Amino acid sequence: MTRPICSRPISTQGTRREFLYGLGSSLGAVAMSDLLAREEVGAGPLAPKPAMHEPRAKACIMLFMEGGPGHMDTFDPKPRLTELHKKQSKLTRGLATGFKFFVGSPFEFRKVGQSGIEMCDQWKHLADPVVADELCNYRGCQADSLNHPEALFHMNTGSRLGSDPALGAWANYGLGTLNENLPGYVVMTELAMPQGGPGNWSNGFLPAHYQGTRLRPEGSPILDLNSPSFKDRRHLRRSLDELALLNQKHAAEHPGHGDLAARMESYELAYRMQMTVPGVVDLTGESESLRDMYGLNDKETASFGRQCLMARRLVEQGVRFVQIFSGGWDSHDYLERGHSARIRSVDKPMAALIKDLKARGMLDETLVIWTGEFGRTPDNNKRGGVYSLGRGHNIDAMTMLLAGGGVKPGSMVGETDELGAGAVSCVHPIRDLHVTLLHLLGLDDNKLTYFHGGRYKQMSQFGGKVIDQILA
Amino acid sequence: MVSLSLSPAAEEQGARLFALKVFPLLKEKCFGCHGEDPGKIEGKLNLLSLEGMLRGGENSQRILVAGRPAQSDLYRAITWEDEEMEMPPKENDRLSGIQIALVRDWIAAGAPWPDEKTRRRYQVAERAIAVTEDGEIFKTSGGLSEEWTYRRYRPEDLWALRPVARPAVPEEVNPVDHFIDSRRMKAGFEAAEQADPLILIRRATYDLLGLPPTPEEVAEFRKDWGEDQEQAWEALIDRLLDSPHYGERWAQHWLDVARYADTGGYSNDYERSNAWRYRDYVIRAFNGDKPYNQFVIEQLAGDELADASARGRLGPGENGLQQVRVNGNYTAEESEWLVATGFLRMGPWDNAMVKAPEARQLYLDDVVNSVGQTFLASNMRCTKCHDHKFDPIPTADYYRLYAVFAGTQMAERKVPFLPVENRERFEEGRVQVKRLLSFATRRKNSIKEKQETAAKAWFAERKLKYLPEYKRRNLPDEEKPPRHVGLDHVDQGRLKVREQDEWIWTRRLERYEPMIQGVYNGPDLPEKGNRARKMRIAGTLDRNWRPESVIYSGGALEAPGERVSPGVLSGCGVSVEGSEGRDPYRIGEDLEGRRLAFAKWVADPRNPLATRVIVNRIWQHHFGEGLAGNPNNFGAKGAKPTHPALLDWLASDFVENGWTFKRMHRLIMTSKVYRQAGRHPEMKALRGKDPNNELLAYFPPRRLTAEELRDTLLVATGELNRTPGGLPIMPEINREVALAPRMIQFSIAPAWQPSPTPGERNRRSIYAYRVRGLPDPFLDLFNQPNPNGSCEARHSAAVTPQAFTLLNSDVMTDRSIALALRLGREAQGLGRQVELAFQLVLGRSPDAVEQERLQAYVGDMRNYHRRGRVERYRFPTRVTRSLVEEFSGKPFDYEEILPVFENYVADSKPADVPPATRALADLALLLFNSNEFLYLY
Repeated sequence: MTRPICSRPISTQGTRREFLYGLGSSLGAVAMSDLLAREEVGAGPLAPKPAMHEPRAKACIMLFMEGGPGHMDTFDPKPRLTELHKKQSKLTRGLATGFKFFVGSPFEFRKVGQSGIEMCDQWKHLADPVVADELCNYRGCQADSLNHPEALFHMNTGSRLGSDPALGAWANYGLGTLNENLPGYVVMTELAMPQGGPGNWSNGFLPAHYQGTRLRPEGSPILDLNSPSFKDRRHLRRSLDELALLNQKHAAEHPGHGDLAARMESYELAYRMQMTVPGVVDLTGESESLRDMYGLNDKETASFGRQCLMARRLVEQGVRFVQIFSGGWDSHDYLERGHSARIRSVDKPMAALIKDLKARGMLDETLVIWTGEFGRTPDNNKRGGVYSLGRGHNIDAMTMLLAGGGVKPGSMVGETDELGAGAVSCVHPIRDLHVTLLHLLGLDDNKLTYFHGGRYKQMSQFGGKVIDQILA
Repeated sequence: MVSLSLSPAAEEQGARLFALKVFPLLKEKCFGCHGEDPGKIEGKLNLLSLEGMLRGGENSQRILVAGRPAQSDLYRAITWEDEEMEMPPKENDRLSGIQIALVRDWIAAGAPWPDEKTRRRYQVAERAIAVTEDGEIFKTSGGLSEEWTYRRYRPEDLWALRPVARPAVPEEVNPVDHFIDSRRMKAGFEAAEQADPLILIRRATYDLLGLPPTPEEVAEFRKDWGEDQEQAWEALIDRLLDSPHYGERWAQHWLDVARYADTGGYSNDYERSNAWRYRDYVIRAFNGDKPYNQFVIEQLAGDELADASARGRLGPGENGLQQVRVNGNYTAEESEWLVATGFLRMGPWDNAMVKAPEARQLYLDDVVNSVGQTFLASNMRCTKCHDHKFDPIPTADYYRLYAVFAGTQMAERKVPFLPVENRERFEEGRVQVKRLLSFATRRKNSIKEKQETAAKAWFAERKLKYLPEYKRRNLPDEEKPPRHVGLDHVDQGRLKVREQDEWIWTRRLERYEPMIQGVYNGPDLPEKGNRARKMRIAGTLDRNWRPESVIYSGGALEAPGERVSPGVLSGCGVSVEGSEGRDPYRIGEDLEGRRLAFAKWVADPRNPLATRVIVNRIWQHHFGEGLAGNPNNFGAKGAKPTHPALLDWLASDFVENGWTFKRMHRLIMTSKVYRQAGRHPEMKALRGKDPNNELLAYFPPRRLTAEELRDTLLVATGELNRTPGGLPIMPEINREVALAPRMIQFSIAPAWQPSPTPGERNRRSIYAYRVRGLPDPFLDLFNQPNPNGSCEARHSAAVTPQAFTLLNSDVMTDRSIALALRLGREAQGLGRQVELAFQLVLGRSPDAVEQERLQAYVGDMRNYHRRGRVERYRFPTRVTRSLVEEFSGKPFDYEEILPVFENYVADSKPADVPPATRALADLALLLFNSNEFLYLY
């Protein structure tokens, strides 16, 4: 094991567990466990830590559009492509071979809000000036890997290999959690997990406390959260008390073994989480109008809407980093049908999320980001001899939206060329995006390091630059 | 410039300091952003010349005030004393205290800036001296720059590259104790007392077998211990080393490093149908105590050994040998060697959406890096793009290793099964896979039929002759029906799913064929189709083909640089066997034999890295931590050995005595250090002075690993099936996860279908099917490593989800019911049952208080369960899946069959047993959740 040598200013070491342990026998099991639990939160690996500089955001909600939305079909109009529609393309990047032709966007574009931010006509709710003027559309980011899982890993963990810590894990490592009864990093996916699976929200080489906890869309929100149906909470309490007694005897025989108390504490946290997690997931307490605003009453938007509403509730309760994965953006064909359906499923919930955060005064300190793993090509190749109207994967250009905590509202930053083939201004690699997001959360990527495998590792791997242009 | 009056000697000293230290430092740390790229000079500050420095930049005009460090912002920035001005800005690049002092001294000396020629003169003079107070010049094949080639290392950072010493040890004492005692005694601590026999037999049994001792074994050992401690202990170790479970336990350590999985990862996560044969090879190697040098050579070059052997049988000529390669007509010994090359196939790899040359590079980079970490504890990845920042590994050496493997091609190869390989369940398995395959094919065909019916109608409407799909593919749009004619988005989605399933099940059938995931030497293949899906050896191989071996500047294929030959790490100072000419670290250019030469170099008795690496790993798995704390990194940034002389002594002893593991285990385990208690009378003082227990004044506790935990549960319940080897088994995993959809390219992977009978499911965890895209949530939670990265050591942090799973999961409920049933069968009356539960789970009797309390607990639970009702769970034989069709973005459903559940023998469930058994199961669950159960001392 790597000896966990953590650079300043973070320490995962040292708690008062051992000291407290000596008092154990004179206290009731429950009381002691609770005390320990609070001590743990006060000093443990997830204890809140001060930011490295004045943070612009306390929490981050990342809406991840898996598959790679076409920038020219969402927020980055390319009239030139419409002119070239179905004309032969000689572009050489990307993997497609054979006869290639340009694909004009099936959608009309317009400028919306005071800021005149551009978006296609499929966005009905995001176009509301109240929402649109909060958005920053960034068009300069470039990815690295042409294939989904590697690109997903890269966007989520800064490395295409799929074994490094995710952004949310770094954020929790750097800042700790604000709610001892909830995980600090929550991930929501569709029923199917995105390609690459849990590698996208892994703690990597950071301690396991920082891994993303998946709130599952169906069944138990956290695996095995609930007791089997034939055991109730009374049963659990009785069993935990008995377990605590067994463990206390054992601990008394093994003084100085710190892991024992940590494990005991984890049972009490489990007991509390059984209460808190269903509370967060249960949306029945929200008003009907709010539920409607998030699209919970419409089949097309209900699933993403639920997750967006849950994201707001989680952040409200102190969760540091929430990620929602929404798939189906990989439109190699039938672009019009595919993208319009995807846009419909996220448009209303996203707009609701922004409005809701704003109404609660939370938007200022909540960073919202909407992105895919890469963008799409201006052209496509024939499939089975047919002009398939879709697009390939594009690592040279993509689009993303940012809003809230510290982001310049109502702005368009960066540009792609007239075909949307590549970013041409304010061009930054993904690591700069990561550095920027960490920066907004009050963390300095160059100082947020963890000693592993013989060197201090950081999110950006080799350092990166803050993308100043998107900052407010 | 401020005029300073300095003596000529002082001036000379300042100039020399600048030439040798300060200028290279500025170049390394500052010039990148401040001058080297004229198009982009940060803060308009150009530090390339004295003039530039004196001019300053937009933030400061007082960058350099000669003679006045404290007033020079250059100096202030590098000290990081002012938060507004911290340079260089990255924590990783920050200057050390010594470096900061150099800059300070130079400024104080008037900031002399001798010209390039003068600087060069100082350098040349300096380089003639091997060791100075700045460190040691270390000879390698040479870096990309002279600065790198002649840079100096702290001597202590080079420890792993020095020849292994053979320190003298006194006769009468175990050498392990000799070294550990002497350091501990210097620190002023006594050793802990000897642990009690229960602790010792648990420790030894888990360390060697990964399993708990049975109550009978404990009793037996206690008895023997009472008669003669030494003899009892030695007999125990012998018994354990002879157990077939020893290989299972120690293979797991190796597979952690090698990254074993049964699938290839990334978007398709294709099954590697025969990977299990490599897993069993490793287990056999440990059980047979295969000498480590042989183990190394077989894994790196087993195919070359096999071909050389076949050539011996066949006589000269390539044709016969090529026939053997293609048809797999190898002898048992040759087959074993070929199976061993599975090591070179362990990394995650998929070429989907990656161009062929890049996919090839991904493979080779992975192999070089894996070989470096596994055998040499050297971090090679850094050196792909630049000379190693900290260690004497030049980029040239990276590409020399790369050239060693440049002719290595991945393939599923025909290799006969060995008599020793377990081939149980082949027939049953094949029947089930064929059934899944035919289901997929039938469903696919019916969609295709629908499409072709519509196509026929389309042609008929236009009075054209019908053309089947393959004939009409290249016609212009107007002359053929649209793609997917007659299919709605549901059909289209289903078609893709069925086509993927066809591949998946076709591939699964290869499990039952005499094949391996192996390698061969041959030319790079042309880009064709989806390579990761099917990789076979070509019928003929161009034997004259040679890989182009160059240094790729910055790691980019687009930037080929200087040519390199195959070779070894030059910094080790160990020549290649039979190397001739000027370069002793070079391997011949023949396509055949590169890996064998390299492997022999790794396994050379003189190799200081390889020999230390392996004994360090052995030590690590007895004491929790290696003597050197980063078993995959012996470089400057890895942890230094706590007992370097002991490490060397072990390495030399290992090599001198035939590279055998079992001998090393005996040596270590018969030491007093290994037999110490986990407690120490001066624990408080020790924790203050020696928080990491480097002194080993007491035995470090550890948590059970994921596999040990699952296997131990099965031992306690009496369910463990101890059959060795064979096809991967599928335990029951969390049902929600088993049935949850998992995205792969174009489709959803098939559901996890557990093995049909408890006997098959309840095999040891090392035999469980490992899918990169779907870790078993139970094992994953207890830190089974992600096989995408080499795992040098397991984590064991206690996190809350572990508590959920240990309390609430079906897996745990089933085990607790199984133990309750066993208690009911084997003991009468609650008191005896509590006693037996303690014996089976914790290996001891409960004390009176525990006995009384737990009886009361079970009583309460009986009352509780008497009132409750338990629902029965039915395993589904079909599931309906929903997926969003990729192109249209619309959801669709399809049906998946789960034939295993048609004749499934489930474990006993809560609903199958009376309330009293459920109450006993609560007791079992309680003990399974206890710290005493989870930790070893």
